[in-house]
Amino acid sequence: MMSNSMMTMTLGGGGGGGGRGGVGGGRSWPSTTSVSASGKRIQKEMSELSIDPPPDCSASPKGDSLYHWVATIFGPPGTPYEGGIFFLDIAFPIDYPFKPPKVLFKTRIYHCNVDSAGNVSLDILKDGWSPALTISKVLLALRSIFTNPAPSPADKPLVPGIAHLYLADRVKHDELAAEWTLRFAR
Amino acid sequence: MVTDNKPVTSPQNPKDPPRKQSHAVENAGKDDTLFSPRFRSVAAMAGWDEEALLVASLVVEDTPDRQIKHKKRSNLQNFKTPPTNSTRKRRAQRRSPASIPVVVLDLDEDGSTSKQESEKNKIQSRVPAEMEKKTGDDELDTKGSKSTGEIPCIDRLREELSCAICLDICFEPSTTPCGHSFCKKCLRSAADKCGKRCPKCRDLVRNGRSCKVNTVLWNTIQLLFPQEVEARKAAAASPSSNTESQPKSAARVSHYNVRSRIIDALNSPESETRDPERRSHRIRSRSFRSSSRRDVSVRARELPSQDEDAAFALRLQREEFMEAFRSPSEPRNSLALARANLRAMASHAANIRVRRHGN
Repeated sequence: MMSNSMMTMTLGGGGGGGGRGGVGGGRSWPSTTSVSASGKRIQKEMSELSIDPPPDCSASPKGDSLYHWVATIFGPPGTPYEGGIFFLDIAFPIDYPFKPPKVLFKTRIYHCNVDSAGNVSLDILKDGWSPALTISKVLLALRSIFTNPAPSPADKPLVPGIAHLYLADRVKHDELAAEWTLRFAR
Repeated sequence: MVTDNKPVTSPQNPKDPPRKQSHAVENAGKDDTLFSPRFRSVAAMAGWDEEALLVASLVVEDTPDRQIKHKKRSNLQNFKTPPTNSTRKRRAQRRSPASIPVVVLDLDEDGSTSKQESEKNKIQSRVPAEMEKKTGDDELDTKGSKSTGEIPCIDRLREELSCAICLDICFEPSTTPCGHSFCKKCLRSAADKCGKRCPKCRDLVRNGRSCKVNTVLWNTIQLLFPQEVEARKAAAASPSSNTESQPKSAARVSHYNVRSRIIDALNSPESETRDPERRSHRIRSRSFRSSSRRDVSVRARELPSQDEDAAFALRLQREEFMEAFRSPSEPRNSLALARANLRAMASHAANIRVRRHGN
């Protein structure tokens, strides 16, 4: 019942937007009239995503809570991740969009910017966040690190070993990445 | 300011919500004759509150097309409408020039606030009226498609005029020096929580907190998306809105109450005439109350700011108007009372200024 406690907390933070939203027993998210500003914005993003999703990506709330999403990214063609389906967990903070969402890879991936726990090093999810960014843009940015990893030491890759291999022996790196994709992401 | 607020929130005060509600109740019967149930339900769906409807009805009442209708009906009056009704109608119509002071009153009322605020209100009252005229009697079902049909690229406009932070239509848009516009509230929150950078282009925004509303843009948005703006306004005025802007929204609510009270008064000459006893009693009790209240507040306040005095004088002026409207039979009495009060206030303000200069 993690999602329920999260929801009531959120509503409290938003200035007590009515009690209806806190009762997460229903099938879907609470109605627009009783959610806070962040909830409203997330709902907007959700409807926008369903109308015009970014290529090879999808995202939607996991369960009752608007603040917990699950997203999928298809490995882009022409990369060693091609053919893989990568699941991600997205957790929206209460003061979204003023704070970035937390993104976690649920599918294991051989990538210099994603560690074994699934953490992603992406500038826009940390200091580079702006409230004008949306989940759609975040997914596009995530998709772009599939095609263009950031292995240089200046980018502070999360897995220096993979970054080193990427720079030193690209073919070997791609082979390993494709193998991991086959093993974990299919 | 506390003593200034007290009369507004006191239960006997004419400006407080309970009274407004009682007015609404009084008007309920009249509303039914003005709006068909179908229109009401659609209006509710469109998010128009009762106040918006009343404003709309007020304006529509003056339009020539109504008068034509009335003339037609007066031909049929022999066998359709009872004579009492028609005279009442005629009286109401004769009264209609009296509704012009609403505009004057409006401007007066906004004297203390910014000029742009009054512009906003004018637009606000005009827009629903236009909407109603357009939508006519019962083809309201097509309202949504109509509003999109009028302006060909409304979806593009909606996108352009949306705030990148809340993804809604910009509400009171504020424009950064780099040229990007966001809701004033959103921009302020962004400046507070994310630093002084433009959310769009990350340009440095030096005075991030002192955002001003882009008037042209705001008026444009209000003209293009009256429904959305009304909905947002209603949401902002409701107590369940964000706690951040509590004092501001509270002020807005009281402002609205005054407005709707005036509208109520103008709209319900019939209900007033129906129970003259109650009305006169109300006037008597109010004038007594207001004078006593004023004494208290004058005594209680030590050294109010000039703004407070101005606001107070403004309220007296408003009350003067109200009394003049409520009591056509005994206007002299209440007018004189209000005038005397105004004079007292002016001298009070002058005294304070003298005292301050002495210090």
